Order: sequence, then structure tokens, then C-alpha cells
Amino acid sequence: MSTILIDAYVSEIGRRLPRKTHTDIEAEIHSILQDMLEERSQKTGKPIDEEMTLDVLKAYGAPEKVAATYQGERYVIGPQLYPIFMQVLRIVLMVIGILAAIGLGVAIYQMVGRPQNAFEIIIKAVANFGASVMTALGNIVLIFAILEWALYRASKKVEVKGLPKEKEWDPRSLTKVSSPNQVKMGETIVEIIGCFAAIVIFNFNPQIFGFGYAPNGNWYLGTGNWTSIPLLSERFFYFVPYLTLVWALTIALDIVLLRMGHWNTVTRINSIGLKVIGIIIAAVMLAGPSLIAVTAPTLATVLGDAEGARVLMTLLTQAVRVVLWLAIIGGSIDVIRVIYRTVTATN
Amino acid sequence: MTNESFENVILELRRGVIVLAVLSQLDKEEYGYSLINGLKELGLEIDQGTLYPLLRRLESQGLLQSNWRIEADRPRRYYVLSTEGRILLPRLKQEWAGIVSMMKKVL
Repeated sequence: MSTILIDAYVSEIGRRLPRKTHTDIEAEIHSILQDMLEERSQKTGKPIDEEMTLDVLKAYGAPEKVAATYQGERYVIGPQLYPIFMQVLRIVLMVIGILAAIGLGVAIYQMVGRPQNAFEIIIKAVANFGASVMTALGNIVLIFAILEWALYRASKKVEVKGLPKEKEWDPRSLTKVSSPNQVKMGETIVEIIGCFAAIVIFNFNPQIFGFGYAPNGNWYLGTGNWTSIPLLSERFFYFVPYLTLVWALTIALDIVLLRMGHWNTVTRINSIGLKVIGIIIAAVMLAGPSLIAVTAPTLATVLGDAEGARVLMTLLTQAVRVVLWLAIIGGSIDVIRVIYRTVTATN
Repeated sequence: MTNESFENVILELRRGVIVLAVLSQLDKEEYGYSLINGLKELGLEIDQGTLYPLLRRLESQGLLQSNWRIEADRPRRYYVLSTEGRILLPRLKQEWAGIVSMMKKVL
């Protein structure tokens, strides 16, 4: 019975430890417990029995407490990332709040003359807001937890044999302007979140970009239980795998940068490569067929206003062109900036 | 100061010397339980939940090395100072002597 108890106790501890170390720790605790029991048996002159085993296990401590002593302090989001997490969270919640307010405003505008739907529309708006907040919060926490884990792993590698060494911290960094080689943590994390969000949205939830309209003639931008017309064409989705690859590689590069803490020639060349690919994709998208799926006649049917539909279509087409041009120009400026920094850093 | 606060301060004080105490006993091989008992006989009681994780940490830092050995039909893990630990120990002892003499002046 005492062996069964010890085995159960030890495996209960092991269950709470990392896979890599738990077998070794379990074996060691097993051995220690047997030493303790033997000593107690010799002192008392009694054979090892269940009661003695229970006493020893109780003295050794609850499995969760014992397991905790083998692990250092770990965080889902630690002190290093917490300020940036809060900053990102505030911005995202603010954007969601603004979008929700716009959505509610549009809904209220459409409600004029049909007050009987008011309650349902407001409830839907609040529910959508709640769902958006929860989704955003979940995704942001997930991204930061992955970053925390990556940084934790990196910090473990920094430790050298002998005494643990930490990166030297200079209090002057609190006020000084950051050097061009220093990785800006906030910017990098925002880029990771942006790329992650783009991958998730365009690969798994592209219907976000669509017109929804209700049978009663109301329409709005976004998702819902209503009929939806996709906004983006098949031509656009042809590029999604390429864009996803660029976004995924950008995330990988950003994680490497966060772990290193500074830029070097290799990371800069990689960054230039990714930006050039991004510019090429944007240029091909700009030169090719329309990326908008919805047509003026379809919009006219939904809106019941041909002139309004024509204006909206022109706006949409121009907006897409502007976004692509911005991507090309912004990307080009970035490439020049990174090339300049690579050259100056090499010199 | 309450009794509990006093105990906590004592615990903190002792925690600071545990690493040196443990390293000092491991110039010859010892298994965890014998080490606890040895230190207890010398007047230093260490909680098991403190000692075993500490031994592993010191090993991962390269100051100790360990090996499993079968004794009386069951395995025991023996710890001993590594080469790096042997180099570091005299320096730690010297540091400790410095702390003691400094604290004598302070107190």
C-alpha cells in the first residue's frame, strides 16, 4: 500500500512538471521518500506501513507545492512585456469602441422611422461589441503569451555556466534617444499583432470584408446573420497565400529581433527582402484586374439607389488603389531607410 | 515585531547562506537526504523543498555534477562539486569572510 501511495504522490508531482525533466525529478523524489521512510523506521523501530508513509508524504508537502519549488517564477505576460501589452490593449479596445460606436450610429440612423426594432438593434450592437472585445483580448493575450515564452527561452540561453549573467542595464536608457540598431519593442510587437490579425482575417474570416443586408432593406458593412455580398474578388484571394507567407516570415523575423534586441546586417537584409516582396505583390495587385468583387448593379439592388451605388463603387475602387499605393510608397521608404542603416552600420 | 515576522527575517538570512553551505559540503559525493542530515547535524536545517530544487539549479549552472547509483537495490542520486564549482568555492568562502567582517563592523 505504501508503494502505491508513493507512486501516486510522485506521479502527481510529475504531472505538474515540464515533460523534459519530470521523469528525473520523479525518480529523485521517489528515492528521497524511501530514505525518509527508512530513517523513520529505524528511529521508531517500526516497519514501514501506510500510516508512516502518509506522515512522510504530509511532511514532504502537497504535490502542487513541491512541483512549484522546481519551477522558477513564470508569467503568461511578465513585467517586461506588460506595459506594451497594456498599451496595445488600450489602442485595440479604443479602435473597437470607435467601430462599435460607428456601427451603432449607422444602425440608429437606419432605425429612424422604425422604432419597433430599436431594442433588438441596440442589443445586437452591444453583443457584437462584447464578442469583438473578447476575440481581440483572447488573440492579444495569446500573442503576448507566445512572445513571453520566446523571451523566456531566450533569457534561459543567455545564462552561462557559473553564475547567471543578465544583460547590462543602463539607467541612462530611460532618457536617451534609442540607437538605430536597437529594436523598438513596441513597434515590433504591434507589427506582429498586425501580421497575425491579417493572417487570421484573410485566411479564416474573409467574410468580414463584405456587405451585409437584411431582408428589410437595411445594409451595413461587416458580419451578421444577414445576407452577405463579398467585397473582395477571387483575384484578391489569389494573392492571399503569398501575403500570408510574407506576414508569417515577418512575424518570424520580428520574434528573432525581439530575442536579439538589436538589428544586424543579416536581419536587415531579410527585412529588405520581405519588404521588396511585399512591394512587388502590391504592384502586381495594382496592375492586375479589380480586387473588388461587388459591382455597381449589385450595390444598386441592395441600396435601391443607382447613383449612390455608382459613387460608392468609385470610392471603393479608389480606396483600394490608395491603399496599394500607400503600401508601395511606404514599403519603398522603409527599404531605403533600412538600406541606409545597413550601409551606415557597416561603415 | 511579531514572532512570524521574526521567523521570516531569520528565513531570509538563512536563505542567503544555503548555497555556500551546500557547496561547501559537496567536495565529496553526497545524496540529497544525507546532505540534509549532515547539515542538520552542523546546525543548519534546510527544507527539502528548498534543497532539491537548489541542487538541480546548481547542477544546471555547472557548479555541481550528479550521477545515479544503485545502492541497497534502489537508485540514489549523488551530487559532487564540478571543476567549475571547485574553482568557485574558495572565492565564495573569501567573499563570505568579507561579509562576516563587514557585518561585524556594521553591527
